[in-house]
Amino acid sequence: MLPVLLRRRARTFANTIGHWTGYEWARNAAFGSAGLGLLFGLHYGFYRLLKYLATVELIGLLLTWKLTAMLLLMTFSMVVVSSLLTALTTLFYSYDLKFLLKAPVSLRAVFLDKSLESAFFASWTIGLILIPFIGAIMRVQHLGPTYLAAFAFATPPFLLLAASFGIGFTLLLLYFFPSSRTRDVVWVFSSLSLTVTYGLVRFAQPEKLIRPDALKVVAEYLNFLQAPTAPYLPSWWLAEALRMAAEGNRSGYALRALGLWAAAFLVYGALVALAGKVYFIGYSGAQEGALRKRVHAFAPLFEGRFLRSRVAAALLWKERTTFFRDVKHWSQILLILGLVFVYLFSIQRLPLDSAELKSLVSFLNVGTAGFVLAALGLRFTFPAISLEGRSWWVLRSAPLGVGQVMRQKLLFSMIPLLSIAGILALMTNWILAADRFTSWLSLGALLTVGLAICVMGVGFGALFPNFTVENIHQIESSVGGFVYMAACLFYVGLTIAVLAAPMQMHFAERFGTGVWNPRVAMYAGAGWLLLNAVAMIVPWKLGRRALEAHE
Amino acid sequence: MIRLEGLGKTFGSYAAVSDLNLEVKPGEIFGFLGPNGAGKTTTVKMMTGLLKPTTGRVLVGGCDMALDPIAAKLAMGLVPDEPFVYPKLTGAEYLRFVGELYGVPLSDMKKRIPELLEMFELTPWGGELLESYSHGMRQKLVLGGILLHEPKILVLDEPMVGLDPKSGRLVKDIFLKLSERGTAIFMCTHVLEIAEKLCHRIGIMIGGKMIACGTLDELRAHSKKDGQDLESVFLSLTGGAEYSTLLKYL
Repeated sequence: MLPVLLRRRARTFANTIGHWTGYEWARNAAFGSAGLGLLFGLHYGFYRLLKYLATVELIGLLLTWKLTAMLLLMTFSMVVVSSLLTALTTLFYSYDLKFLLKAPVSLRAVFLDKSLESAFFASWTIGLILIPFIGAIMRVQHLGPTYLAAFAFATPPFLLLAASFGIGFTLLLLYFFPSSRTRDVVWVFSSLSLTVTYGLVRFAQPEKLIRPDALKVVAEYLNFLQAPTAPYLPSWWLAEALRMAAEGNRSGYALRALGLWAAAFLVYGALVALAGKVYFIGYSGAQEGALRKRVHAFAPLFEGRFLRSRVAAALLWKERTTFFRDVKHWSQILLILGLVFVYLFSIQRLPLDSAELKSLVSFLNVGTAGFVLAALGLRFTFPAISLEGRSWWVLRSAPLGVGQVMRQKLLFSMIPLLSIAGILALMTNWILAADRFTSWLSLGALLTVGLAICVMGVGFGALFPNFTVENIHQIESSVGGFVYMAACLFYVGLTIAVLAAPMQMHFAERFGTGVWNPRVAMYAGAGWLLLNAVAMIVPWKLGRRALEAHE
Repeated sequence: MIRLEGLGKTFGSYAAVSDLNLEVKPGEIFGFLGPNGAGKTTTVKMMTGLLKPTTGRVLVGGCDMALDPIAAKLAMGLVPDEPFVYPKLTGAEYLRFVGELYGVPLSDMKKRIPELLEMFELTPWGGELLESYSHGMRQKLVLGGILLHEPKILVLDEPMVGLDPKSGRLVKDIFLKLSERGTAIFMCTHVLEIAEKLCHRIGIMIGGKMIACGTLDELRAHSKKDGQDLESVFLSLTGGAEYSTLLKYL
């Protein structure tokens, strides 16, 4: 029965492409090219890094493979987290589950279909990022196309194994806690423990890799490089397989690659076997809504205190109420808090000796924190319009404009995102004791970056609305999500480039090697204003027009 | 009150609705019938501003939907064919939200929302999240939402689907009462008995075109089915002669 189920997916995909209009072909080709450009950019960055590592005497190769192992470990953990978030909606709340489960199809076949979908959505974007890295290894080490084939053969079971952990956890969670309230509590605690684990891994200071002097003796550093990175996890097996393929050790590669396939079959097979017994109980429990009576007091809305328009206040109230009632958002908030702590911890642990270097890092923090903000924008702001889902008719048939809906979406995500931007800038400047000029510049820049990321999030979200998706992950990993992320990274990069001029003059003045050039400062200021105007106005206007015309 | 002038919608080369001209007067209940895929829901979506017409225009209470959508929508209430509502709001909160969007005074909402919940027998569920509501309960809630802001025009796409017999009867009586008060009602339905009993005029659509429009007697005369019920008239106008041949596939 599974082939029938999978064929319908292939058919759906073919029909979707077959029905693209000329405009859609052109649009998707343009965005696809932008995506390819981003991948090439990543490839270039990886290439430069690996080329530099290769020049390090004696330990160059060790460094390369250690970095590969760490990257794969990161990929593995990201797919696990991602599959945790995807599996719940895909396995238990998909629209077509009612149809599939009442059809004479075995539970295991339905589980296979849904879990493969879940694994795909949880891993494809993260897996895609590995390709430019592998390409860089191939260029630096002069490896032929067979190396790419070796990578392509060994990676799918690695990603499937990672996704299986998230899927298995969700399956068992729904089985043991069919009551929605208990399940919510367990879900939040699981997220909390994940956040703590993430923090612990970070506090183990993996930066020792690039900081040999942090370890007492050279031998200790070499031991660290040679030691397996999480040897019991599939990321290490894949790292070893890739290393052996590069060294021409065919039997070593084959052993590990086949080991990965065998492990994937074993773990995923066990999941499928388990699903036959537990999937339906979880599904049945998921159908039961949470019954907890809430009394509505008909008091004036809190949002009405600072918003004059009743419609605006109602929209913001609806956003707030529905957002915080969704327990999946709580877990994401916990993860974000963990991320902020780890980020600041990492800043604090940076081995910076001079005040100038600290100020420079404080400025470059605009770029790294901008990247964090873009990731948050992709998770919370970009999907906001699409998450109206099938209830979109309520707003579309009501007496209000699309622009008003977009403005409230913006306001709702702007408050937390700007707070995080402010915290990251202020705390970093404080930790690094940056000078006054740099502190103000980075704070102002980061708040503007936060604002632009929010505006672009709502704008791109309106430009690529999808009211029929089942989970937030499908929105994030859509073409629109990819374009949004690429646009954000491009914007953050340009911000750094534009603001580098005043920073350079500031340092020149401090070192006594130059003075402020008002004309350059004026050009930089004008460039910065123009960049932000374009970043905020163009996506917003395009998005608004697209959403008004959306059918 | 509602006027459709040369309304048309094409999707690529496919004409879902062509040159539709129609007027529904205050107090009139207009039934809009047609087989599946006739273009009824597309028409409803264009009337309520959910879809942009390719040709023609929609006038609601004198306001052009394309030029002044907010005024047009303010005068209108919609019950869509599938009553999707925010799963994380409660019934009372949904009604409050609708009231806020349509500018209903808070004091009126305090009084009306409990009354509406009571009328549709949703009081015990008013504090529960909508994700736990059945299809029929959500349908009643959406109906409650449009009654809250008392629009002059109602556009209903299959309003009886999912309702229990008692609620169905209640809804019919509500429509009759609103019509007496001067509300114009435009209703798509496949339930011909309801159309026969409630509607002052009926339009039949097929292949995106209105093939007949008038009172039941006028339709009978048009189809040469004097004295027969709406079902016979409908089947006759929409190709009922072929109906008996379809059973051979059984």
